[in-house]
Amino acid sequence: MSIETTTAASPAPIKKKGGWGRDKIYSNLSYLTMVLPGAIFLLLFNYLPMPGILLAFKTYRLSRPPEGYWLQNKFFYSLLNSPWSGFENFRYLTLPTNIDSTLTYIRNTVVYNLVFMVIGLVLSVLLAVLIFELTNRFMAKLYHSIFFLPFFISWIVVAYVVYALGSNMGIINSIIVPMGFEKLEVYKTAAAWPIIFVVANIWKYTGNGSIIYLATITGIDRELYEAAAIDGAGKWKQFMHITLPHLIPIIVLLQILAVGRIFGSDFDMFYTLPNGAALVKDVTYTLDVFVYNMLRSSTPIGYPSAAAFVQSVVGFVLILVTNFIVRKTRPELALF
Amino acid sequence: MEKSILSTSGKPGKPLRKVTGKRDMLSISPTANSILNAGFIFFSLLTLIPIWIVVISSITKESSLAANGYRLWPEEFSVAAYKFLFGQGSIVGIAYKNTLISTVAGTVLAVISVGLYAYPLSRPNFKFKGFFTFYAFFTMLFSGGLVSYFMVMRQVLNINDTLWALFLPSSFSAFWVIVMTTFYRANVPNEVIESARMDGAGEWRTLIQIVVPLALPGLATVALFAAIGIWNNFYNCLLLVDEAKYYSLQFTIYTTLNNIRFLLENAEKMPGIVNLSELPSETFRMAMAVVTVGPIIFAYPFFQRYFIRGLTIGAVKG
Repeated sequence: MSIETTTAASPAPIKKKGGWGRDKIYSNLSYLTMVLPGAIFLLLFNYLPMPGILLAFKTYRLSRPPEGYWLQNKFFYSLLNSPWSGFENFRYLTLPTNIDSTLTYIRNTVVYNLVFMVIGLVLSVLLAVLIFELTNRFMAKLYHSIFFLPFFISWIVVAYVVYALGSNMGIINSIIVPMGFEKLEVYKTAAAWPIIFVVANIWKYTGNGSIIYLATITGIDRELYEAAAIDGAGKWKQFMHITLPHLIPIIVLLQILAVGRIFGSDFDMFYTLPNGAALVKDVTYTLDVFVYNMLRSSTPIGYPSAAAFVQSVVGFVLILVTNFIVRKTRPELALF
Repeated sequence: MEKSILSTSGKPGKPLRKVTGKRDMLSISPTANSILNAGFIFFSLLTLIPIWIVVISSITKESSLAANGYRLWPEEFSVAAYKFLFGQGSIVGIAYKNTLISTVAGTVLAVISVGLYAYPLSRPNFKFKGFFTFYAFFTMLFSGGLVSYFMVMRQVLNINDTLWALFLPSSFSAFWVIVMTTFYRANVPNEVIESARMDGAGEWRTLIQIVVPLALPGLATVALFAAIGIWNNFYNCLLLVDEAKYYSLQFTIYTTLNNIRFLLENAEKMPGIVNLSELPSETFRMAMAVVTVGPIIFAYPFFQRYFIRGLTIGAVKG
């Protein structure tokens, strides 16, 4: 709540600590008017939902504000006036009946994220390095364009691809069934999904991920490599001693951000690819999907709020901690 | 860092590396190069196959698909699915219109608001730079979470069940602000702005008449981020739209796939209850997927350069 009241982009002449002095505002008036639309936008869509994080500690009861009350909004009035419930909502997620699924969804979220982080990093760097080694510039561009294309294809269309490949009459079955294998029913086979997600993730993001590494490699002074080559360093040594050190800053930066999202997930992918197949829930549900499904069911909204709270706050804390560690060890690489 | 082999600098003729007459000492051997190329061709084909499958099944004759299942090359072709798709009263038509309107509106909004927000942040004499940079950056680190977002959009801003829901929440992002700020700094020389100021132009006039023409490639990048983001957006429609007449394209084709899979599974369990002949055909569904990605794939060769530049700039610490 405090954030939005203090940051509300009203250039009201508050004379405090010289921060928003009247003269300062006046001399920057045109700049402030330029910032205004974006500031309002962030206020409405990003800052306004922030106080709602408190839903996690409330027993939310929807009620109408009495006439003349200063806050004439159903949601915020109810948020303020619902009774505090301490950690009751969190306790629900850890009840003996729920603890297994909660842990499963946390495990899915974290493990998928870690796997995507590692594989994504390795493959993106590898792709960038290899593309740069190609002698034919036209082909290098063509390959990269092809690898980048899936980035623009929505997960929903990918869900169609999964269907065309893996459904009963899909391509995989039309190949393996005549060979004498048992029919693969993707939407009923849990073991298939980790593979599908990993492959789909590689397919969609590797080309995109390599862009920044490719740009960095291109910016490295060629003379460094020439000197190394004269000293007898092979490609591998050149990579380890020249390319990689140049990539480290950007790798660290991207990993800090990725760590902050470790409790989040690519909702569209996890939600649409399995297509609501309930039998594979244990390997396809992430916290995001779990929160969404609870939100859309008849459970009190305090429960999904508790899960969403964990996501937001843990992510935020993780980013701060990672950044803190990076700042202590290699200050020049820190995000802030 | 803003140099890239994919000519992100906007100069298409820039060579990948300094190419001298003879092969330079850093190049890999021709054999290694051929092996590498073979590998790349293999993986390129692998990358394209999923897209190929969708496209080719959409022009397969339904009876052929029903008899043989999905194939990489069908026995008989047919464009019946597309005729049906654009026929009268098609749900896809409405969704297409909604998505088209949202994409255009959201893109215009994004270009204006991001272009405006980023400009002062790039100016050394803006006294609130620190505050507004943090104000935007903080939203990349922390959010109120899904539940709160859902409630605020529905009960405070009341944008549920409107076309606004499809694009408004996706027309501004702190990341685009970083991209655009960096772009202004790198491509609009301070002297140009200073001299405009000397000539007595105000900040607004300087921005519109001097800065914007120089910043067009950057604004194009933001436009692309927004357009693709909104075109492919599924989440906002899922969360905020219940009425079918405001469904987005992605959401419509998702529900179609979902319904059909559900019906087919139940048809196995309870034969006779579900009449399979009433379902949209398989080819029709694939045609839906094709018209959804079609515009993106056609536009891809033209826009990818700008997109790459945006991503490259954005990662430079601004």
